[in-house]
Amino acid sequence: MPFILRMAARELRSSWRRLFFFFLCVAVGVGAIVALRSLIQNVRVTLTAEARTLTAGDVYVRTDQPWTDEVLEIVDTRLTALPDFARTETVDTVTMVRLTDESNTLTKVVELRGIQEPFPFYGRIELGGGQSYSPALLEDHGALVGPELLVQLGLEIGDEITIGEVQFTIRDVILAEPGRQLGAFSFGPRVLVAYDAVGETNLLGFASRVEHQILIRVPDNTIEPLVDTLREDLQEAFVSVGSYRRTENRIERYLDRAENYLSLIGFVVVILGGIGIWSVTRVFVHQRRRSVAILKCLGAKTHCVLGVYVAQIVALGFGGSLLGVGVAGVALGVVPDSLAEQAATSTGTATVSTALTGSAVTQGLVVGVLVSVLFALVPLLDIRHVKPLLLLRQDQVQPTAQVDWLRVGVIGLVGSGLLVVAMWQAASLEGGVYVVGGFAGVAAVLHIISHGLITVIRPLSASRWFPLRHAVLNLTRAGNQTRVILLAVGLGSFFVIGVRGVQMNLLTNFSIQLRDDTPDMFLMDIQPDQADGVRGVLARAVDEVPRLIPVLRARVVGVNGPDTAIEGRRAVRRAGFGREYTVTYRTELAANERVLFGRFWDAGPSRVPEVSIEERLHERGIDLGDTVRFDVLGREINALVTSVRSVEWDDSRSGGFMFLFRPGTFDDTAPHTYIAFMKGPEEIEARGLLQSDVVTRYPNVSVIDGLEVIRMFRRVLDYVTLAITVVGGIALLAGGLILMGSVAMTKFQRLYEAAIFKTLGANTRVLTEMYILEYGVLGTLAGVVGSTGAIVLTWILTKEVFEIDWVLTPAINVGGVVVTTVVVTFVGVVSSVDVLRRKPLGTLRAE
Amino acid sequence: MIKLQGVSKTVISADQLLTILHPLDLEVPAGQFLAVIGPSGSGKSTLLGLIAGLDMPSTGRILIEGINITTLDEDRLAELRGKKIGIVFQFFHLLPTLSAFENILVPLEIAGVDDATDKARALLGEVDLADRGHHYPSQLSGGEQQRIAIARALANDPPILLADEPTGNLDRKNGRQVIELLMEVNKGRGTTVVLVTHDHELVRRADVTISMRDGKAERIDEVVGQTGSVPAR
Repeated sequence: MPFILRMAARELRSSWRRLFFFFLCVAVGVGAIVALRSLIQNVRVTLTAEARTLTAGDVYVRTDQPWTDEVLEIVDTRLTALPDFARTETVDTVTMVRLTDESNTLTKVVELRGIQEPFPFYGRIELGGGQSYSPALLEDHGALVGPELLVQLGLEIGDEITIGEVQFTIRDVILAEPGRQLGAFSFGPRVLVAYDAVGETNLLGFASRVEHQILIRVPDNTIEPLVDTLREDLQEAFVSVGSYRRTENRIERYLDRAENYLSLIGFVVVILGGIGIWSVTRVFVHQRRRSVAILKCLGAKTHCVLGVYVAQIVALGFGGSLLGVGVAGVALGVVPDSLAEQAATSTGTATVSTALTGSAVTQGLVVGVLVSVLFALVPLLDIRHVKPLLLLRQDQVQPTAQVDWLRVGVIGLVGSGLLVVAMWQAASLEGGVYVVGGFAGVAAVLHIISHGLITVIRPLSASRWFPLRHAVLNLTRAGNQTRVILLAVGLGSFFVIGVRGVQMNLLTNFSIQLRDDTPDMFLMDIQPDQADGVRGVLARAVDEVPRLIPVLRARVVGVNGPDTAIEGRRAVRRAGFGREYTVTYRTELAANERVLFGRFWDAGPSRVPEVSIEERLHERGIDLGDTVRFDVLGREINALVTSVRSVEWDDSRSGGFMFLFRPGTFDDTAPHTYIAFMKGPEEIEARGLLQSDVVTRYPNVSVIDGLEVIRMFRRVLDYVTLAITVVGGIALLAGGLILMGSVAMTKFQRLYEAAIFKTLGANTRVLTEMYILEYGVLGTLAGVVGSTGAIVLTWILTKEVFEIDWVLTPAINVGGVVVTTVVVTFVGVVSSVDVLRRKPLGTLRAE
Repeated sequence: MIKLQGVSKTVISADQLLTILHPLDLEVPAGQFLAVIGPSGSGKSTLLGLIAGLDMPSTGRILIEGINITTLDEDRLAELRGKKIGIVFQFFHLLPTLSAFENILVPLEIAGVDDATDKARALLGEVDLADRGHHYPSQLSGGEQQRIAIARALANDPPILLADEPTGNLDRKNGRQVIELLMEVNKGRGTTVVLVTHDHELVRRADVTISMRDGKAERIDEVVGQTGSVPAR
């Protein structure tokens, strides 16, 4: 053993330069794993440490309906039985804010929260003005607002805003606020006002999205019993009961998934690096054949020589991993400062640390070394076939074509090893199988394509043009790096082109949806007595007044039929119908609807209440002929399912409803409101004026500007695209490194060939042309391989995942091929500059 | 003692069987200096490779110190070479990534010798390169590289030294130095030396010379008064 280590150390003194790209391949992947894992783990530490801050209390009771006396009595009875407790209430809704100055037509959708003392039980409301929060700030219609509201409406602290029918004075801006839902979709800036003031706005009776919450602080040991008792007591009420620990568990699950997903991305990069390692090791072993033969000649057994090289790979893998850890440290220290601040602010917690975590570093190092060894092992096995006779005769007999069972076994071992590492990184068997299987599949397909392409270009080796002939001969020569480079660079361009293609498909579909008559304004919470008035306001602003769609809010409380029996709220929740549905009624199908089963009613009067369900409800167990029992704000409705519809959700002109009723089911006294989808005016000013007109006259109506939602959607899409592009970029970087590594490794062979060509009269220009052609063809092939794969990827993702129409994106696919060709040619030729400059005599002498 | 019994080598070349060494009986007693001469492609290096266990004969047995090496696997052959056979090549074949001293150290370490460093240092002195130990092969002249290669071959004090045209790549002066070194090994240490060469001086000073042509040992010259015999057919 000491000999193996000593020998490995001696060889490393010179071989590390040749294996430098090996080093980089490991570093890139490990850097990705360590950085991504550390970031998520830091967020987790901060969030779980402050889970109480996120809930702002120990226990919460929430509902989206007004508190009933019964519920309040149960809660109070249980609380008074405890030795010590404190309670407070909050109310949240989405509404419009407008300026008190009526000459200014600006309006804005905001998330309004009413709070009362002693909110919050945990955490602090941090204000931008430097003062500490005190409930006095909210007295006399004071409001605290998110800083973005000031910018968007051109306001300052001290200015007034109108919400509903009440004027509020902005007292300060909110920097951090406890008790915000993590990861919740945001409708707009936050506005905090006094709890009672929300009632004064007269919005609660009309708004469709209201959440009432009772926050409770109790001694630690009574938290779980209280939650259990309240859940038991309130199981038949539409309330949810939980504790900060549930928030903590939810955060844990959410972050676990995020961490494992991101680690898998890192692992994919490590695998790409692994392909580089495999390629570099293969050439390295080839170049070391003579040294291996010498060692065998001097008495070293095969396993001993193999040990020397495995030890080198372990050392380099470890070194590369350390470098990766360093890169991750630098990356985390520099890049995501703003990201950490944003995460901290949006969750109302302290700053998220950007330090590397011990566990991430350990995982990175272990994965780095393991992947290095696994990928290097198969090419290293070739050492067994090096015979010491090589020192006497170069033309020694090649090993027979018999099946090399050890090699087969090791390949199996390596595959299993990678699967285990992938499962470990994904923390799931399924995730690991998908990643390794997917990778193997993609690699196999790319390999087959590249094989075909090489066959296609082979006839060019008969070309009369010397540089082209030799370029093609170099590419098609047996045992060269062509297939490896095609695979590695092809995978990199496959990722990047694929991501761009998917992005373009999403945007194209989005712009198709947005053309001409696509609605870009959404009105909600229009009361029946406001309908005519709203129509009048709209008629003055747009040519075509939209149809006001009547909607009600309903909950399923039971389903009964020949084969169905879902009874009680618990069973309904378990069956997946627990949420509140927005429902409507009409006599005809909308343009985006189609009946799949059953018969849609005609315009005649209804004898019994009838309902048409969306196909997903059918998939979840509601069948034709079943009777669904609904609770529509306290009224019970039994409706017969007479048809199942499919809804094109992308086509938003008519909206979409899971439950559609036959007219006549609800009488006029049923608590319904109207919504409308419309195409707003083109000009920004006109849009603003329309919103302002509606909200000034009907303060309870919310007008959501679709353009803002689209902008938000674009922003989210941009983030996602950026994230995937970064991954694709890293993949391409890995591909580039593999390319450079391969060129560098084959430089010695090239030096010799170039020397012979030079002595035979080839000048630098001819050799340069040869290399440009060689790498140009290689780059084009890699680009074609990647681009073809990307088309398939885009097709699958658009059809199966996003469920949108697929369009070919020739600009991206062709552009991808061109960019790949240019990059590969540039890297290849630049890496060969040394070969072009070297004088031939020295090289020939050395040989 | 080296003993070859009916050893031949046949290979497949262009889909045809080609005998590169015809059946040969050869006995090289311990301490003998045997020179093998002949034109290129006559089978000299093949013979040397077979004796070194670098290649397997198609027929016959090869006994080294009484051990039939044709029955040994690769690892046992490597072990045998490490202990009993030193090899010197025309192109030196030093490990380019190791210094001269480390090149000598390698076989000692493989064999697990305790005082490997001292022995390697002593061997450097024996080949008059004590002050060049830290140099890498590329920093040494051809003659110096060959002397390091001889020191490496002698590291484990093997009873047999095989040399494949050791002076073929050297100028006259360096060649002479190497010849003297090999003679000294043979006479001073009593090491059996089998030498493939074109060098007339070496042939002249050998105990026994066999001449090869087309895979056959055509002529055997025996210097009168030397021990041992080399029957051939």
